Amino acid sequence: MNQSDQIASCDNPAVPIVLLLEIQQFLYREARLLDGEQYDEWLELLADDIHYWVPGVQARYRKDDAKFSVGRMAFFDDNLEYLKIRVARAKQPSAWAEDPPTRHFHLVGNIEVEKTENPAEWTVHSLILSNRHRTEDDEMEIKARRVDLVRRDQDGSLKLARRKVILQQTVLQSKNINTFL
Amino acid sequence: MSNLVVETTGREVPVAKAGEWVDAENGWIDRRIFWQDDIYALELERIFARCWIFVAHDSQLPEIGDFLTSTIGQDAVIVSRGEDGKIHTFLNSCSHRGNRVCFAEVGKARRFTCNFHGWSYGLDGSLKSVSRPQSYDGNANFDKAQLGLHPARVESYKGMHFACFDPAAPSLEEYLGDFRWYLDVILDNDEGGIEFIDGNIKSRLKCNWKFPAENFVGDSYHAPWTHSSALIAMFGKQPTMRPERSYHANVNGHGWEFGLDFIGNAATLNSPQIIEYLREQEAKFAERLGKVRSRMVGALSSANVFPNLSFLAGHNTFRTWNPKGPSETELHTWVFLNANAPQELKDEYRRGVMLTFSPAGIFEMDDGENFENCTSVNAGVVTRRQKLHAGMGLDSQIDHDELKGNVYQSQINEANQRAFYLRWADLMGAETWADVPVR
Ligand code: FES
Ligand SMILES: [Fe+2]
Repeated sequence: MNQSDQIASCDNPAVPIVLLLEIQQFLYREARLLDGEQYDEWLELLADDIHYWVPGVQARYRKDDAKFSVGRMAFFDDNLEYLKIRVARAKQPSAWAEDPPTRHFHLVGNIEVEKTENPAEWTVHSLILSNRHRTEDDEMEIKARRVDLVRRDQDGSLKLARRKVILQQTVLQSKNINTFL
Repeated sequence: MSNLVVETTGREVPVAKAGEWVDAENGWIDRRIFWQDDIYALELERIFARCWIFVAHDSQLPEIGDFLTSTIGQDAVIVSRGEDGKIHTFLNSCSHRGNRVCFAEVGKARRFTCNFHGWSYGLDGSLKSVSRPQSYDGNANFDKAQLGLHPARVESYKGMHFACFDPAAPSLEEYLGDFRWYLDVILDNDEGGIEFIDGNIKSRLKCNWKFPAENFVGDSYHAPWTHSSALIAMFGKQPTMRPERSYHANVNGHGWEFGLDFIGNAATLNSPQIIEYLREQEAKFAERLGKVRSRMVGALSSANVFPNLSFLAGHNTFRTWNPKGPSETELHTWVFLNANAPQELKDEYRRGVMLTFSPAGIFEMDDGENFENCTSVNAGVVTRRQKLHAGMGLDSQIDHDELKGNVYQSQINEANQRAFYLRWADLMGAETWADVPVR
C-alpha cells in the first residue's frame, strides 16, 4: 500500500480555511523562490529530516508491480545534505550553462490539504507544472503530481518534511532537471 | 509473392565519401555527419542494424517470462527470458499488420499478444496462436513457423547481453576483441560479477547520438572545465589528472580513457562507505586483475563500447544513447554494483549516481546542454561546412607492457575519439562486414 492509499482511507474532516490558505501561500512562495533561483531561502523552508523523492516512473501492465517503488532508480532520492550539494553547484559562477540563466516558471494547482495523525502535520496534494526556457527557442516542460508532508515547526513556521513527485513522463522529455519540482 | 529480398542500402548517399567524412589521421571530422538525414538513415542500416547492441544484463531478467522493451537503432525490440532459460531479442512489431505488440517497458509475461487481431507470440518470439484460426484453414501461405517476430542474434559477455540483426556480423567475442580484457575491470573484479539495480532512468536529448558516445569514449578533457561547478561544489577544487599515469586505450572503436588513481570517479559519489568498500577489496581486485587493471576499478575514467553503450567505472553506471533521429537521442541510465558487495551499498550507488550522472545530477546536467548545442548549430549551411578539430595527441601512441589494444599516453587526449569515428567510417563505407577491418 502506498502513502496516498493510506491517506484516502483515514478519516479526514476538512481543515480550517485559514490553515488551507496558509499552506497554499507556503507552496506559492516556495514556487516563487524556485523561479527566482533563491535556493538558500528555499532550503530554509525544508525540515532537517526532509525526504525529497522523484522516482522514475515506468510503463507497466496493470497486473504488474507498481509503476514506481522504493529502491528503484529515481531522479532524486535526497536528504538535506544531498539537496545542499545540488544547491552549491547551482550557485557556482562556473555553472556555465546557467549563464544566461534559465527562465523558470513553477505553476502550483489543485492544492488539497488533509489532516494526519499528527496535529502539527498535514498531507498536501498538488499538481506542479515546471516550465523552463533557455536561449531563443529551448523549452522544457515537466508536469507532476506531488504529495507533501507539511509540518508546523516549533517556531510556528511551516516546513516541508516530505515530498514525493510523481512525473507524468516515463521518458523525461528534457535534457536535464536543473530545478526542483 | 515470393520472398523478395529488398536491398535497403541502395540510396543516394555518397557512401564512397564515408572516408572523407572522417580524417582520423589528421583529426578532422565533417559536421554533416551530425545533421544530415541521409547520413543518419545510412547509420541506422550500417551501424545499428549491423553491430552488437547492448540489450540487457542477466540480472534484469532473472526468471523465465521476465522481459523488457528496448530499441536497436530505431527498431523497437522485446528482450525476454525464454522457456529455454535463454535471452531472446526480437522485433516488437506484429507479423500481421505490424502493430506494436508489447507496451510495457518491463514486466513478466507468458505470451505477447497483439491488441489488433490477437496474434499471440511466445517468449522466444515464435507465433503460438491466432484468433479465429479456422479462417486460415487450407491457406497454403499461412505457416506459423514463418510468422514469428523477427529475431536478432543474442550473445553475451559476462552477463552483458548484446543483440545483432546482421547474420554476417562476426561473433560478439570477435566484435569486442581485446576490449573484453578491459571490460573485466568492472564485469569481473569480483567472482560474483555485477548486478543491475532495479529501474532505468530514461531521458531525451536534442543531440546527435555520436556526441555523447564520443564524450564517453575519450573526452576527459571536458571534465575539469564543463564540470567545474560540480567539482567545486563537492571538493572545492579540480581533480588532478596526471598525463604520465593515465591513458587512452581502444580496440575496434571501443575505447576507455582512464587514470590509475583507483577511486577518482568513485569519490564523487559522496559515500564514504563506497570508498571503504573499494579500499577493502583493493588487494582482491589486484589478485584477480593484476595491479594495473585493479587501479582502474574506481578511477577517473569513462568508456564506450561501439556504438552506443557508455559506462563509468567507479560511478558504476551503464548508459545507452538510442538514436531517435539525426538530432534526437534517448538516454537510458542504469546503476550496477558487485553482486557480492554489501546490500547497503545498493542505495549508496543508486543515490550517488542520481546526485552526479543522471539528468538531475550535478555533473550530467551540464553535458546535455553542450551536446545539444554542438548539434543544433549545424542547421547553418556555412557552419556545417567547417570541419571539427579532433587533433589532440596525434603522436601519443605508445607500446605498453601490459595494456592491450591501441594505447596512448595521457587521458587528456583525442585518440579514442578518432578511433571511434574511424570505426564509424569503416562501417559506413563497407558494403558487408567482410570489408570492415579489425582495428
Ligand atoms: S496486427 Fe497484430 S494481429 Fe493484426
Ligand atoms: Fe561530462
